[in-house]
Amino acid sequence: MIEHAYLIPLIPLAASALMHFGAKEDPHSPAPWIGVVAMAICLGMSLSILSAVASGSVAVPYEHNWPWFSFAASIGGKSFIYDMPVGVLIDGPAAVLLVVVTLVSLMVQIYSIAYMHDDTRYMRYFGFVSFFTASMLGLVVSSNLLVGFMSWELMGLASYLLIGFWFEKDGPTEAQKKAFMTTKLGDSGLYVALLFLFAKVGSFQLTQIHHFYDKGYMPAAAAAAIAIGLLFGAMGKSAQFPLFIWLPDAMEGPTPGSALIHAATMVAAGIFLVSRTYFCFLAAPQVMHAAAWIGCATAFLAAAMALVSYDIKRVLAFSTVSQLGFMMCALGVGGYTAGLFHLTTHAFFKALLFLGAGSVIHSVHTNDLRLMGGLSKKMIVSFFTILAAIAAISGIPFTSGYYSKDMILANIWHSGDRPLFFIMLFTALMTAFYMSRLFILAFWGEARDHEKHHHAHESPFLMTGPLVLLAFLALTSGFMLDRHGLVYKLLPKPTISVMPGEVAREHAPPATLVSATMPAEGGEHAAAPSEAKAEEHAPAHEAAAEHGEHHEGHLPHALHLALPFLVLGSIGFAFFLYKGPDYAAAESLKATFAPVFTVLDRRWYLDDAFDLLVVFCDKVAALAFWIDANVVDRVFVDGWGLLMRIVSEISNLIDALFVDRTVDGFGGLSLDLGVGLRGLVKDGQVQEYLMYVAIAFSLAATLILTR
Amino acid sequence: MNMLSLVTFAPLAGALIILCIPKEKEKAIQAVAFLFAGISLIASLAMLPGFSRGTHEMQFVERFAWIPSFGVQYFMGVDGLSYPLVLLTTFMSVIALVGSLGIEKRVKEYFFWFLVLEVGMLGVFCALDLILFYVFWELTLVPMYFLIGVWGGPRKEFAAIKFFLYTLTGSVFMLLAILALYFASTGPAHTFDMLELAKMTGGWDRHFQILVFLGLYFGMAIKVPAFPFHTWLPLAHVEAPTAISVILAAVLLKMGVYGLLRISYSLAPLGFQWFLPALIVIAVINIVYGALCAMAQTDMKKMVAYSSVNHMGYCLLGIAGMTTAGFTGAVFQMLTHGIITGALFLLVGVIYDRAHTRDISAFGGLAVKLPVYAALMSLTCFASLGLPGLAGFIGEFLCFLGAFQAWKLAATISVLGIIATAAFFLRMMQKVFLGKFNEKWADLPDMTARELISIVPLAALTVLFGVYPKWPLDLMNVTLTHMLGK
Repeated sequence: MIEHAYLIPLIPLAASALMHFGAKEDPHSPAPWIGVVAMAICLGMSLSILSAVASGSVAVPYEHNWPWFSFAASIGGKSFIYDMPVGVLIDGPAAVLLVVVTLVSLMVQIYSIAYMHDDTRYMRYFGFVSFFTASMLGLVVSSNLLVGFMSWELMGLASYLLIGFWFEKDGPTEAQKKAFMTTKLGDSGLYVALLFLFAKVGSFQLTQIHHFYDKGYMPAAAAAAIAIGLLFGAMGKSAQFPLFIWLPDAMEGPTPGSALIHAATMVAAGIFLVSRTYFCFLAAPQVMHAAAWIGCATAFLAAAMALVSYDIKRVLAFSTVSQLGFMMCALGVGGYTAGLFHLTTHAFFKALLFLGAGSVIHSVHTNDLRLMGGLSKKMIVSFFTILAAIAAISGIPFTSGYYSKDMILANIWHSGDRPLFFIMLFTALMTAFYMSRLFILAFWGEARDHEKHHHAHESPFLMTGPLVLLAFLALTSGFMLDRHGLVYKLLPKPTISVMPGEVAREHAPPATLVSATMPAEGGEHAAAPSEAKAEEHAPAHEAAAEHGEHHEGHLPHALHLALPFLVLGSIGFAFFLYKGPDYAAAESLKATFAPVFTVLDRRWYLDDAFDLLVVFCDKVAALAFWIDANVVDRVFVDGWGLLMRIVSEISNLIDALFVDRTVDGFGGLSLDLGVGLRGLVKDGQVQEYLMYVAIAFSLAATLILTR
Repeated sequence: MNMLSLVTFAPLAGALIILCIPKEKEKAIQAVAFLFAGISLIASLAMLPGFSRGTHEMQFVERFAWIPSFGVQYFMGVDGLSYPLVLLTTFMSVIALVGSLGIEKRVKEYFFWFLVLEVGMLGVFCALDLILFYVFWELTLVPMYFLIGVWGGPRKEFAAIKFFLYTLTGSVFMLLAILALYFASTGPAHTFDMLELAKMTGGWDRHFQILVFLGLYFGMAIKVPAFPFHTWLPLAHVEAPTAISVILAAVLLKMGVYGLLRISYSLAPLGFQWFLPALIVIAVINIVYGALCAMAQTDMKKMVAYSSVNHMGYCLLGIAGMTTAGFTGAVFQMLTHGIITGALFLLVGVIYDRAHTRDISAFGGLAVKLPVYAALMSLTCFASLGLPGLAGFIGEFLCFLGAFQAWKLAATISVLGIIATAAFFLRMMQKVFLGKFNEKWADLPDMTARELISIVPLAALTVLFGVYPKWPLDLMNVTLTHMLGK
């Protein structure tokens, strides 16, 4: 099956095209099932690939490339024709991600058939969802960074289309623009990183780039610059501080679409990119450290915002940002396996949370938590499934989030950075708090808005079915993956055997790379240990890393035991504050700490800063245009006129006898723009043009003769 | 058979025939224009199988003496640099002719000038003799002057004269440089032969080459248009009729970049290298400043015009890198910019024909009413802002790739231009197509068949070259590698 992995992105792409162009728009069309069936096929293929990878029956990484196009390139002054391939590269993480993406997308699509059923652009929606999934799958399987970047950008387009799906309203159109621009800002870093990589390596193939890093050919400074660029790209897509501002607004799109963005595509892409190019980060430890702190800031700031929001989707969006911070932090401290593990479990419970919230919103027609309450009695399935998701995200023992978050915290603990650890621990407790708060406000106690409560009803089976399946995975996926160290086997941490600058670069270039790719100016980093020494180092280094990772996956025993109690305490605190119909305890707390609440409500003023930036850019643009119209145009056009007069005057002086009359005419021409030629233009007479031909030729003659 | 002469002069034959047709017979005039532009297109496509991708030598060469006393030859030929541009020209001319069918005023003269313009443009890309090149170069000027000045918008006279004088002055310096090259040529007799001259560059001193380069550069830079000589462009674009804007953006601007690569680079290499640090600065200004100016526009057409300044900046960036990837990017960018911006101007013309305004804020929510138009416009805008998977990305990326190796900082700054480009296109789409529907436009019809015929081929090529850029790249690879390999 793995040799047909290239079909996995292509099938939904074809389904999308079919749904876009194949049939007429009709709210009751059966066409969305095309997308569902396509995704089911992809899920089947992905599962078979994953099981093959897990059982070890295929050798990973599996790579296969096809020729795509060629262009002339040059590295270090040598020209060659670079053959750009397009291909698939399947390793453990890719196999896991394939299953996650196809599974979540399938659930979202099935759910959407009921959720979107009376929308006027019913089929268009499914076309977008399939396209979105296809681009994410393209990123996951691609063996080539440039192809990956293309998928990455197409995903940006898909999110633009999906967020602005209801484009008749202003909210979605602003949100879609904001999402596209913010991620584009991040993408510019990725763009530069790609340029840098090609300038150094001479290839976009991941395996070749890895090889190049592995041998230590990449200079340390370049490695740092590349890692910063890659990180910047990931920060945009995976909503890291300070680029996370687009994600909370992105909920303007249809709720199942949000589930897709928050769980399987888009935000997962950034984390996946970092993991896919992890060797670039390993070569730049200081950038990894920065990534850890960026992840930490993201996790904390977003969790704090989630504490005070009353919009159910917004709380979930903040929680996504916060969880992405956890993943980034894990990757930053070297917890590769933990970060991707959490990405997997998070995909299940976050998709479930959004779909569950969609079910609630569908039923009560409001996003406002204050107008809900007591829904447990009306929506039994939604209630229990959301309960499962909340248990998982809070880290209740033996749910999926418990395993993955535990592993992240353990990795941070073993990195030795204590401030980082305690902030992240506190954030984990905040997570439990705000999720319980959401749960209590929506489902617990008595109804606050009786009319809405009266109309509330459980959703149809097409919606609850996916919820139940996802709830099952949210509860069990952590345990299944953690058993027998399966997660370490599937998501092994990549290594580089030589750090940049540790080895001389005069080594014979490896045969797999284009020979021209070796920078000729090497040697300035030559620390020159012998090759034998480097090789001696490598296996020991690897073994140590493997051992270390398993060890790093566990917290100290006392902490490990205490953690569940801390989480329960946090949940209890939420109950204490938000119990009762008017949650008086919370309100009084809010009155006491009013300024803090305002800051959180205003989302740390980051959106205002972004708006200021937009206004500033507009001002700069207006200034540029003013300069263009009033300075550049004046100086250079009038300057030309002057120059022409000088030229004609000089010609006049020298050739007063020869072409006297015509040159005079020419000089006069520039004196009054427009006046002289207006009559000519109105008539459009050819013979008058001939006069100008004569001018041109006489000028030419002048120049020839004056030499 | 003299294919290049056929390609180049078929439109001239058409123009002469049109002169003989009474001006009332508008259908016949249009038919003749299509027939001869079509012949030119078919002939240029017919060269495709015979065009060898494996050599850098000039192909389809035609050569005979023209003015023997001055050593002027009629010398035509194409290689991987010029042939793609010849194809672009013949193709875009036919597309622009479809877009010209709405012209009602003085039809005969319009199509006459149009065909003459096509001759000039094709000649520029085929000529290998400097005087021949210069004649064709100037030949484009006159028809363009009339096409803007007679069939243009409210300020057409001013726009036309500004265009004319600006480019004419530039040409004067170019002519000076050409003459200087002629007199510097060695051998049995002075020559205007580009290929011969290129072999002699080793014997010319650096100062001479710098002067020659500067002379040539003035002529080329105005056409590109490179900052600060770009201000004629927005005006000319805004005032020109739709089809002429298409030609202006798709082909005429390319003459400047082509000239830089074909003449400045090969005939004054030392001057070219001397100028590179300035060129990279100009490229960055074109990219960032052009995008910022576009951002400040409220007129759609002017916005697209400034986006051309930005996009031609990518070409300059690629050239300034002096690497094969950069040159490839510049040539590919010329092709894709021609296709994409051509489509953009046609699309702006579509809405202007209906609404008689191009003010971005005059619309709103049109996607509901004009879904086909909105889809095509969005596709083109995304292509123009460099979305991967569409043609604009490949050229742009290769330009950056080429420039980055030599100018890391400049290329990094230029990335800002990409962001700004995205900003103004997205804003335009939001204001025109999205949001609440503006009831004022309740009876706007969607695209007509004629409009679709002119735009859909461009959209199809945009997608095709975006996902499969192999064909155009294969045409140019060997030539460009050779250009830098020597």
